[in-house]
Parts: sequence; structure tokens; C-alpha cells
Amino acid sequence: MATEAKLSHTAAMILQAIDAGLIYGFSIMEMTGLPSGTVYPAMRRLERDKLICSRWERQSIADTEQRPARKYYKLTATGTVALKASRNRYPLLERMIPYVEEKAL
Amino acid sequence: MTPYSQLVFHAIDLGLLRCASFLAPEAQRAEWRLEWESELWHARRSNSTSGAVSWRTEREIANFCFGAFQDAACLRRLWWQNQARFVPLHGSAAQCIFCLSGILFVSYLISILSPGIRAERDFSSTQIRPGTILIQEEGANGDSVPTMAIDQVQIWKRGRQRYVDGFAFYRVARESATIGPHAGGTWQIAQASSNLFAVAGLTLHYMESNEEARSGMPRLILSERIWREKFGANPDIVGRVLLVGSRPARIAGIAPGDAWRLPGNSEAWLLRPDSEISPDGRGYVVAHLTRSGRSEMWGGIVNIASYDSRRSEHDFLGKSLEEQTPGPGNIYWFGVLLAFLALPAIASVSLAECSFSSHKPSWIRRAVRLGFLVMKVVLVMLITYFSSVDLAYWHSSVSSPSGVYVQLVTTFAIFLFGMRWALLDQRQRCPVCLRRVTNPAQVGLASRTFLAWSGTELICADGHTLLHIPGLPTSWFSTQRWLYLDTSWGFLFAGSGAG
Repeated sequence: MATEAKLSHTAAMILQAIDAGLIYGFSIMEMTGLPSGTVYPAMRRLERDKLICSRWERQSIADTEQRPARKYYKLTATGTVALKASRNRYPLLERMIPYVEEKAL
Repeated sequence: MTPYSQLVFHAIDLGLLRCASFLAPEAQRAEWRLEWESELWHARRSNSTSGAVSWRTEREIANFCFGAFQDAACLRRLWWQNQARFVPLHGSAAQCIFCLSGILFVSYLISILSPGIRAERDFSSTQIRPGTILIQEEGANGDSVPTMAIDQVQIWKRGRQRYVDGFAFYRVARESATIGPHAGGTWQIAQASSNLFAVAGLTLHYMESNEEARSGMPRLILSERIWREKFGANPDIVGRVLLVGSRPARIAGIAPGDAWRLPGNSEAWLLRPDSEISPDGRGYVVAHLTRSGRSEMWGGIVNIASYDSRRSEHDFLGKSLEEQTPGPGNIYWFGVLLAFLALPAIASVSLAECSFSSHKPSWIRRAVRLGFLVMKVVLVMLITYFSSVDLAYWHSSVSSPSGVYVQLVTTFAIFLFGMRWALLDQRQRCPVCLRRVTNPAQVGLASRTFLAWSGTELICADGHTLLHIPGLPTSWFSTQRWLYLDTSWGFLFAGSGAG
């Protein structure tokens, strides 16, 4: 319950975006319309609170696609619970950020 | 927009990210930069897929990069919050010892680096030959006034002496010295008996060989300061001939730095037989007492009665050179002794306030507490020594008496108040964890009839103890008391490891 009380609308949008399959910072920015100076610090705090976790993409995949490796984020179990509570609090969350088709994790 | 300008903008963006990365904590900086450079690549690619590369696009990418500063600052804030784990050190015994050690280190460093203090150390470490005295006429106005004539020394030397086995005379005057064709100066030169340094027991550096000593030319001893300043500390100058006034003199050795503690601020000494020293003017006489002579000395002074060439009686005083130079160590211990005697006047020296009503700490905890107090006292003593020496000899010269007084006063003051702090600090530390008790609270009501209890309560932040300090000491509650908090208090100190 304490986690639910702390979660702001921005944090809820980012959790929803990650759950929807937008798993790296720039894609979350594009979907939510939030500036980089808001999205990335919010993700740091969510990671500190263990609502999301990150991992680096394998270098071989990035090399194949001839681009730099990306850092991917995903929800933790606590993050999933917190997002569920946030959806009750912000009912339009799912409609604002719909699920994308491919969820590449 | 040309590909060249795109490259320039990309370089600017990378530069912005690099600048922002310095805000991020060092341990996370490399990974942070990798992530942002990767994101920048994707941001640029996403904006250029439409093929409409423009100023607007570059502005958007630049805005994206400016967000990196906020992200790095956020990371830095989180890092600081993580560091706050060390807050429990606040008020701990380790913090106290660390601070005292820091002060000690700084005062020691100053004492090493200051040339004045180094000179004082050299000066005090020079051993004076026991029984060396400075003879002056009785009633002389201070040690620095020359009162002795060379004739008197010659009379003493001619007679058979039971109490003295060596006399030497010297007289200081400003004389010109010519080092080379275009070099020289006017120095304070002492015309002295050949045996001056032997009587005073001072060993010379770089002494000339015996063959050179037998040449018959007056010998010149240079002070270490002149040797360094005028000759660049060259040891090969020993044996070289200079002109002192109009007479040639051969450099025979270097007097050790600041070892000279006799009156007259000499920069060089011209050693010659007594018969060649001019009888005009007054000087100083140094003598060395035999064993029987030393037994006649009282309080560092010996009285000498003698007759001059006209058979009239004169009284002289011989003052021990050892007594005149107590040295920083002796002054320090004297100051510490005085401070110990004065301590009960400004602070209670008793530590008996540590009386647990229901619980007594183990002997290990009591030993640690005592060890902590001993460590504080030792550190205060060392800080007192180095600070007092720093303050006393930073500017004053080694022969100045003001340095002695400044050291005595500073030793007394620093040690007295340092010990007072150490005792008061000890009384306010939890006997279990040695942290300072905090959160003072006034409790009770002050009673005019002295029947009610009032005072201050302080609590250990880790929840071990409560300290009661009475506001009005009474016959049943005169001193502070500790109350041991058992595990039932633990709920108030969640996460502090109380119990």
C-alpha cells in the first residue's frame, strides 16, 4: 500500500508504457510525450524502488542490426502489483498507452 | 542541411552528454554514458527516417540531450541518499577519535614544515656539556650585557684552578669579511679564545685537518646560516682563506645549526690565542667546572670571588647553560602538571556518575569505555604538545624567551580545556555503545522546597540507555544516572539495533 501511495501519475504512465511493451527510454518518451529530463530520472527512481529492473541487450544482437546495444526495462513483481493499483486510481491509463504488438523481452 | 553540419551537430550532442556525465557518480558514469549514447543514436535515427533533417529536428535532439543533465543530477541525488547510510557514525566514538586524529595530524604537519620549529628542535636536541657556565660580573644587567675583560681570563688561566678546568673569552663586533674579489659583507664576528668550542663542548661540522690547524693562521668558524647563505652549503670551503677586516683567516669548520646558545648573536668566530685578542672592550667568559666545581653549584648558579691585577677583589656569578635552556619537552611537562593541578577547579574529575540502577554493563564494555577515555587523553596530550610548539616557535627565534612563555601558557590552556572536554564528553556517552546521548528534554518541575525532581533527560540514539541529569542536586539525587533500556523499548528504535 505504501508503494501505491508514492506512485505519481508520471510514474504510473511509465510503468504502463513498460508493461505495454515499450521497453527502452526513448520509446517511452515517444509514447507518453514526456521530455527526456522527466522520463529517465523517473525510471531511475522506479528502479531504486525495485518496481522495474533493467538489463543490457546482448551485443551480438545489436551488432547484427548494426546499432548500439540498448538498455531494456521490465516490471518486477512489485511493479506489476503497483501498476495494477495505479490502474484503479487512473482508469484512463490503459487507454492512453495501449499494448504494442511485439514485446521484445 | 549538409552532411558536414549534421556531423557537427552530432559532435555537439555527444559533447553535451559528456558534460552531463560528470554530474553522474563516478562508479555509474561509464554505463550511464553508454545508455545515453545509445538512446541518442535511436533518437537521431527516429527523427531522420522521414528524411526531413532540419534545424527543428536538431533542436529536438538537443532538447533530448539537455534532459541528460537532469537524469545525471537525479542519479547523483540518489547516490547521496545512499551515502546517508553513514549517518549512524554521527556522534560515535569512531568519529570522535577520527576528528582528534585529524587535528593531531594537522598540528604535527605544521611542526614538520615550519622552519622556526625545526630550528627549535635542532637547538633543543644539541647536548650541552655538563658543567659549562657563563661567567659575568655580579650585578650585571642581564645575560646579554658583556661585562668581562680579557685580562681577568688571563689571570685565571695563569693560576692553578681547583674548580674550573677551562676558560674561554669572546667579544662580538661587526667586522667586514671579504670572500672574493667582488664578494663579502659585514658580519657579527666574535674574537674568541682558541679553545672556545672545546670549553663549550660544541662539535664542529667539516673540521679542518690537523696539518692545516698547525699553520698558525687565525681560524674562522662559520655559523651554519652564513655557510648556507654565502657559500651555498659547500663543504669544500673548509681550509679556504678569507680576509676578516684586513687580516687573513682560514675557515676551520662550521658550527652546527642553532647550537650556539651563548649571548651575542655571532655569525662567525675568529679563534686566536688570548695574547692576540685586543684588551680593549668587554666580552663574555665561558668556563667548564670540574667535579668539585659542580658540587659548589646551587640552583644553576655558582659564586666566584677573584682578584684582579691590582689585587682588588671582584665577585662574579657563573650561570649554568643547562639551566638556561629548559627545552620544549620540559616546558610541556611543566605546563601539563600545572593544568592537572588546576583541572578540579573547572571540571569534576570523577566518573562515578556511571551508576546503573538495574543493569551493570559487562567488564568488556567497561574496559572499552575506559580505553576510549585513555585514547582521548593521549590524543589531547599529543595535540597539546604539537599545537603549543607550533604557536610558540612559529615566529619567535630559538633564543627568544617569549617562545618559552608562549609555549607554557598555550600548553596549560590547551591541555586544561582539552581534558575538561574529554571528561564532559565521556560523561555524555552511552556506556553500552559509546555514542553521545541526544535529544535533551526538560522533565519535572523545579521546586522551591527542593522536594520535587527536575532535570534533563537524554537518550541514546541506538536505544541502549537514558541519562538523567538532575537540575537541582539533592542528597538523594546529586549526580547524573544512567537507566538501562531493556528490549521492551525496542519498538521505539526500529532499525537501530536496540536491545
